[in-house]
Order: sequence, then structure tokens, then C-alpha cells
Amino acid sequence: MKFEIQYRPAHSLAIAHLEAGESVRAEASAMVSMTRNLAITTDGPMGGRGGLLGSFKRAVLGGETFFTNTFTAQGTAGHVTLAPTLSGDMQAIELRPGEPLYIQGSSYVAAPDSVELDTRWQGLKGFFSGETLFFLEASGQGPVLVNAFGALETLELDGDVIVDTGHLVAFGAGIEYEVTKASRGWIASYLSGEGLVLRMRGRGRVYLQSRNPKEYGHAVGSQLPPRQG
Amino acid sequence: MRHEILDAPNFGLLALTLQAGEKVVAESGAMVAMGPAVSVETKMRGGLLAAAKRKLLGGESLFQNTFTARESEQLLYLAPPVEGDLRVKELARGEVFFLQSGNYLAHVGEELVLDTQWGGVRSFFGGIGFFMLKVVGPGTLFYGSYGAIHEVPVSAGGYTCDTGHIVGFSDGLEYRVRPFAGFKGLFFSGEGLVCDFEGRGTLYVQTRKAPALAGFLHPFRRVQQRGN
Repeated sequence: MKFEIQYRPAHSLAIAHLEAGESVRAEASAMVSMTRNLAITTDGPMGGRGGLLGSFKRAVLGGETFFTNTFTAQGTAGHVTLAPTLSGDMQAIELRPGEPLYIQGSSYVAAPDSVELDTRWQGLKGFFSGETLFFLEASGQGPVLVNAFGALETLELDGDVIVDTGHLVAFGAGIEYEVTKASRGWIASYLSGEGLVLRMRGRGRVYLQSRNPKEYGHAVGSQLPPRQG
Repeated sequence: MRHEILDAPNFGLLALTLQAGEKVVAESGAMVAMGPAVSVETKMRGGLLAAAKRKLLGGESLFQNTFTARESEQLLYLAPPVEGDLRVKELARGEVFFLQSGNYLAHVGEELVLDTQWGGVRSFFGGIGFFMLKVVGPGTLFYGSYGAIHEVPVSAGGYTCDTGHIVGFSDGLEYRVRPFAGFKGLFFSGEGLVCDFEGRGTLYVQTRKAPALAGFLHPFRRVQQRGN
């Protein structure tokens, strides 16, 4: 399984090349096109990895789409092309055994089956902003494809950094974090528009996206005619 | 007439230079700027009934504009609605190209035929599908994409593409529309309709699709409270 990424950075498309028998597990709505020799299984509440509880946990806590599709090349080599909803870059981050990667739920695109996905619920929710924060834990070996809204920036952390939750894509093991407020008080934090931030500490990589999907949603979606409640 | 594609692939813009008497037909709303000696005439493509049907079923615009230069060296800039690439396709006499109707930008050539065809499947819930334009030469076709355009040479093994990601395809390909992973898959797999291609030809795929963006934005719309 190999990821090739084209048309970077604005409208990136990832091509997952599969040898016969290999498979890739993709976020449910990511499939753009594929060769005809792929078998598809949808992992959902009626079965699949982790059964009902596993997919429920993924969907509700992980911010990942409720379902993932696993594409397996049968007989011969094949490929599936994958893209996120919004404009922006993608990157395949190589996992090494014993060094998991924590991925913001909506930033996950795909990984081969040598990579295990698990959810990690991260407690605190913003009282005022209603923000919640969930990560998927990817462990094992192989590439994990993530997407960014906008450009993807990598911070080589050695020390402390404060990151807006809406701009966080992923971070490596060896980084501790706590959810905190951007300003001193809750009210000031709310008014600052920064909502929840993460104070991250340690050594490793932090992957950031240059745009915040939620801010974009509010900026554009609020201009649309109201929907019925 | 000369044409030049500017600012591709992220924000493709078509720059045309028209000589006296030359005509361009374009999707309504596509005009960015034009010279002072260009006349515009608005028409319903394919007559009232065909246009109304397309509008109702496909969300495609009812009208097209015909731009005619009254003098030489008149500029006309045209742009598609979404960000992405822009391409030109020269069609020989009798040559066929299939274009997803929302990707149509403009064409040149009085003899070019644009025939709207419905591609889709009928289900218990009514029709779901999309419109393809069967374009028959001679003439020049300009089309846009949402995102980049990825070219796929289709051969013996066939190929499958999400219908929302299809820009167009060359003649020689047979296509059949089906729900991804069965009708159940329409609701559970997160994917909608896909198109299976057979034969030999080139498929043009766009790397983003508008319905997905609309789906992303929908929850951010303000909620209107129902009156008591």
C-alpha cells in the first residue's frame, strides 16, 4: 500500500496504490474513484471492526464519519483515489511501532490495515463555545493519510506551545497536552474568539492546518438562508 | 478568435479575443469583463421545455448568453463559478464528448450540438442522478472543474467514479450509474452514486465536489424557529 498525493496543496488528491490482496481503510465519504477490482466492506454498526460499540465510539467521540470503507484489491493491483471535502493539502505520515499518532477526528483520511485506529476521548468541553475535542489514536506501522483545511504546517516541538483546537491536525507521541482557555478568564476567552486551546508540551511533531473548518462554517454558513429548526 | 487560459489550475479564467461578427455562447453568470463593442443576447437553451426540465431536475441555469463582437479585437473574460481548473476541448466533426452539465462554461461553433441526457437511477425514493451533456462537434468547448482535473485512461479493466467527481469523458466509454455498495450503501457508506465505465477512453475527474461542501456548510446555517 502506497499513498501518492497529487495537485498539492490547494486541491490535493491521494492515490492509494494497492497490490493484489492489500487493503486501505478510508473515511466514509473520501472515495473519489477506483479501479474495478476492489472489494468494499463498510464498517458500521451492524458489524465491522469493533462492532457496534467500536463504530459508535468512533462516530460520536472521534468526530470521524460513522462509517469507514475498506477497499481490498482482488486478483491484481488496483488503486482508489481519495479527497477531503474542503480545499487543502494532504500528507501521509509514517508511523513507527510504539510511536502512535493522535489525529483530530475530521483530519483522518485513510490508512492501510497495518494501522490500528482507536479513539481517545478528551474531557473538557467549552462551556460557552460548545466545542468538543476528540482524537483518534493511530498505532502500528505504515502511512496514515491526513488532510488539512488549507496548508499543512509542521511544528518541531521541543518545549511548550499553545494551539487552537480548530487548527490542530495531529501530533506525535511524547507530547503531553491539556485543554485550557486562551485568556485568563472564561468570559475573556469566549470574547477573544479563540475558544479552547491546547497547551502542548514535550518533544515531537505537531501538525497544524492554516484554516479552521469551524470558523469557515460560521463565516459562510451563517450567510445562507436559515434552515427549519 | 483567440483564447487563452489564465490562472489555472486553481482559479482558471478564460480570456477570449473576438473579431467582428464572432460569437461565443456561455453559461449565464460566467461573464467577468468584456469589451465595449460586445452585444449580449439571453436565450433559453433548447427551448422553454428542455430548459425548464433541466432547471427543475438538474439545478442547471435556465439561460445562456450569446456574446457577439460588433468590432474587432474585443475582449471577453469568462469564469466558472467554483475555484478550480479550466480546460478547452476542440471537437472535430462528429466527435463526441460527454460533460457533466454543471461543468459547462462556454462554447464556440454554430454547429456544435449540446444534448442534455439524464444519467441516474430510479429508486423507491424517486430519481437520483445528474445531467450529462452529450457534446457533438465540430466546435470548441470550454469547461471548468471544482478542484484539480485528474485524467484517467480507462482500458479493459474498467473504472468507477463517484458521480459528483465526474467532469466528463471521451467517446468510447459506456457508463452505468449505480448506488455505491447497493442501495443500502446510499445511506450508510457515506458515498452516493457511482458510475461504472467500460470500454476505452479518457475520464476526467475533479478532486472536489460541490454537494460535499454544501453538506459541510448546512449545519452552520442559522436555525429558523417555527412560529407558535
